[in-house]
Amino acid sequence: MSDAAGPPGPAGGQRLAAPPDVDLGRVWAAVAAQVWRRKPGPAERLASRLLRSPGLARALVTTPSLLLGWVIASALVLAAGAVATVSTGTPWVAILAPAVAAAGIAYAYGPGVDPAWELSQSMTISDRMVLLVRALAVFGLNAVLGLAASAASGVAAAVTFGWLIPMTAVCALALAAATLTRSANAGVAAGLAGWTITLLGARLADGRLAAAVAGGSLALPYLLFAAACGVVAWLAIGTARPPRGTH
Amino acid sequence: MNVELTNLSRHFGRTRAVDGVSLRAGTGVFGLLGPNGAGKTSLLRMMATVLPPSAGKLELLGRDPRRYGPRREIRRRLGYLPQNLGYYPGFTVYDFVEYFALLKELPPRRVPGAVAAAIEQVGLGDRAKARLRTLSGGMLRRVGIAQAIVNDPDLLLLDEPTAGLDPEQRMAFRALLRDLGQRSTVVVSTHLVEDVGAACTEVALMDAGKIVFQGTPDALAAAGEGTGAAGDAPLERGYSAVLASARSGTPAGWGPPRPVAEEPRA
Repeated sequence: MSDAAGPPGPAGGQRLAAPPDVDLGRVWAAVAAQVWRRKPGPAERLASRLLRSPGLARALVTTPSLLLGWVIASALVLAAGAVATVSTGTPWVAILAPAVAAAGIAYAYGPGVDPAWELSQSMTISDRMVLLVRALAVFGLNAVLGLAASAASGVAAAVTFGWLIPMTAVCALALAAATLTRSANAGVAAGLAGWTITLLGARLADGRLAAAVAGGSLALPYLLFAAACGVVAWLAIGTARPPRGTH
Repeated sequence: MNVELTNLSRHFGRTRAVDGVSLRAGTGVFGLLGPNGAGKTSLLRMMATVLPPSAGKLELLGRDPRRYGPRREIRRRLGYLPQNLGYYPGFTVYDFVEYFALLKELPPRRVPGAVAAAIEQVGLGDRAKARLRTLSGGMLRRVGIAQAIVNDPDLLLLDEPTAGLDPEQRMAFRALLRDLGQRSTVVVSTHLVEDVGAACTEVALMDAGKIVFQGTPDALAAAGEGTGAAGDAPLERGYSAVLASARSGTPAGWGPPRPVAEEPRA
């Protein structure tokens, strides 16, 4: 790189020496970067503009539960729920949506999901901010998918919107469990178990599965529970335990 | 001083991983030596602002990392290579280093050049577009080093950086360390005493969570002279002698283990 006066050029003349004030290493790095780099996709560019942070945007588009395969799988489950709702009259979308969202949230961010979790914790963009952005994005996407499926199934508006609050509570439970146990699978299990118990409890009390969804009196308990789980997740994400086998 | 630790401790339940460590380090390469379980990784994780101390005072780059604002500023100027580098198998080398450059909030216009320069520095230019799952352990280690140096850090913390590197790569890495140590504080945790001898200006030896020696590599080597301590090289003998004396409570070699908080060699 430092051999500025190189071999003769193709025309037989002497190749020009680089001016002494030109940092050829930097020039090469700039050229190499253009060859090696991958242009951000439209979703990442949009996220970067909205969040005003290219780092957060990149962290967002690498969320496992926002990858295309996961989103398609979630949409298929909810579409199946819409079909079942139309054919049976039971609001299956409202029952499935919180469970699907909880699984997505558990796989959004955390020590059990991110291979480079340890490294991420030492970054300028805090892990809590990454957690918040990813969790909100996963929740938002699942809410949109659920609302679309619910509207397509033609259920009453109270049921269509009634599952959003339980979904918040179930998602918060999944997130707290995933963060505390450092395992996304444990988060999924906790979310599904919590939601199943709620549904069965409502059925025992009211005789309908959907009672856990549409009951307006449950809104406050759901929200308080969600807030408590959110606090647990927030605190747990900042409590860095050492990786296993290190001292 | 870029690193100032005063009586720093970290407990995990009843285990005292780091026990009242005091240390100061300025510009140069600082080696942290010690047997497995000595507390090197916990100490490095506290310096990386990943693990909060249980007690004691920690000041990095003249700032207190307990507060959010200063912690952000420290992290902006920090490079860290953890002992267990997790990676995304589907990322390319460039993607991985770029991801962490972005998370370190490098100015976006500087990112491509900084990433390419870091990859070149660790000799992975020819594998920049290779997926991480296709790389060997040594190459992954170099990717980890590249992400650590991508922001040209003032404080660079490397936990077992030469693990998995072949001898040629290790020599190149030591040269890189010496170069980085000209302008920043580099703290290297290692169990390889030859790394310390080749690259470090200052060394601390840890055992059971405490620093039992701090001084120059030459002083560590001298501590083993005439002691009959085990080892093939002077540094290894010094290492063995200091550890043996710390565990028995008697002075090693020509004098007792030097106390902490000594100025590093220029």
